[in-house]
Amino acid sequence: MTDNELIKLILQGDRNKFAIIVEKYKQLVFRTCMGFVHDKDDADDLTQEVFIQAYQSLSKFKKESAFSTWLYRIAVNASLNKIRKESGRSFLQRIESMFSGEIKNDPPFSSSDLDNPENIFIRQEHSQWIQKALDSLPENQRTAIILSKYDDLPQKEIAEIMDINEGAVEALLQRAKKNLREKLSGDGQRKSKKQRRKN
Amino acid sequence: MNCQLCQKNLDAYQEGRLPSDTMTQVESHLETCDSCKRIYNIQLLANRVMNSEKETVVNPFLATRVMAGIETLENAGYEKESFNVRILRPALITISLAAAVFFGIVLGNLSRPAGNLNQIPVELALINDASLESVNILLNE
Repeated sequence: MTDNELIKLILQGDRNKFAIIVEKYKQLVFRTCMGFVHDKDDADDLTQEVFIQAYQSLSKFKKESAFSTWLYRIAVNASLNKIRKESGRSFLQRIESMFSGEIKNDPPFSSSDLDNPENIFIRQEHSQWIQKALDSLPENQRTAIILSKYDDLPQKEIAEIMDINEGAVEALLQRAKKNLREKLSGDGQRKSKKQRRKN
Repeated sequence: MNCQLCQKNLDAYQEGRLPSDTMTQVESHLETCDSCKRIYNIQLLANRVMNSEKETVVNPFLATRVMAGIETLENAGYEKESFNVRILRPALITISLAAAVFFGIVLGNLSRPAGNLNQIPVELALINDASLESVNILLNE
């Protein structure tokens, strides 16, 4: 059964058919959410929210694009909204930790670690460091890179989801990669110098 | 190959999308340049972190959770509707009926001749009913 046939049945009142759609697209939505929130439980909750939102506005799906594209749009918007809400909260938390002296900006590795990425892979702190750099990108660059790296989408589809042209996606991805590289290597070099000074 | 060109090609190098001669050039540059090697390693690390997040598996009961969420939402909608049907509608009908009766009384009072009392002559108004002769006296006569 195609997506459009399923949607038609759901709109006619066969609510249970929506479970088939959830099963089919859950990993896709979850991956996108995970790219934005970096936490399994948060991504699970967000994925659930996205599907409920999709169910509620199913009648607004015009079938002009693929159902997955429409779903991606909902997932991206829901994720960005969640992040915006969280950033308001974390701003207060940051002020709090600044006063309590808990703030940390340095990358969590030594100079020698960088020569052996195999040894440091998957350490929680490193993940957080990379995630922090990713989160510091502007919203459109972050969206483009998440859809590209997490969902392996071609630029054409990213363009459709973000409602921009392919050239703009290419430019966004280039800028995102450059910013990410600068951010990460800049931090890395600062840390190495610091370590050398200590030694 | 200089550092700028090498860094520009790092993505494609990592994904194996470069022509073989450029691949070799990037490789040999990375062997000799610490700064580019460091950037390449950071990029490698970033991709691995992203891949590990990407491979995280969604909650297997998500569909059940979503369907339960939808059901709760729809039931909340039904309860709202049944509140309207059970309480709000009868209350509104009662209020409308009471209002209709009240306005009926008000309108009825308005149509009653209000000036009757004023038209009674003063003499009649001052008649003391108690001092009037009984009808029985007249009948006996």
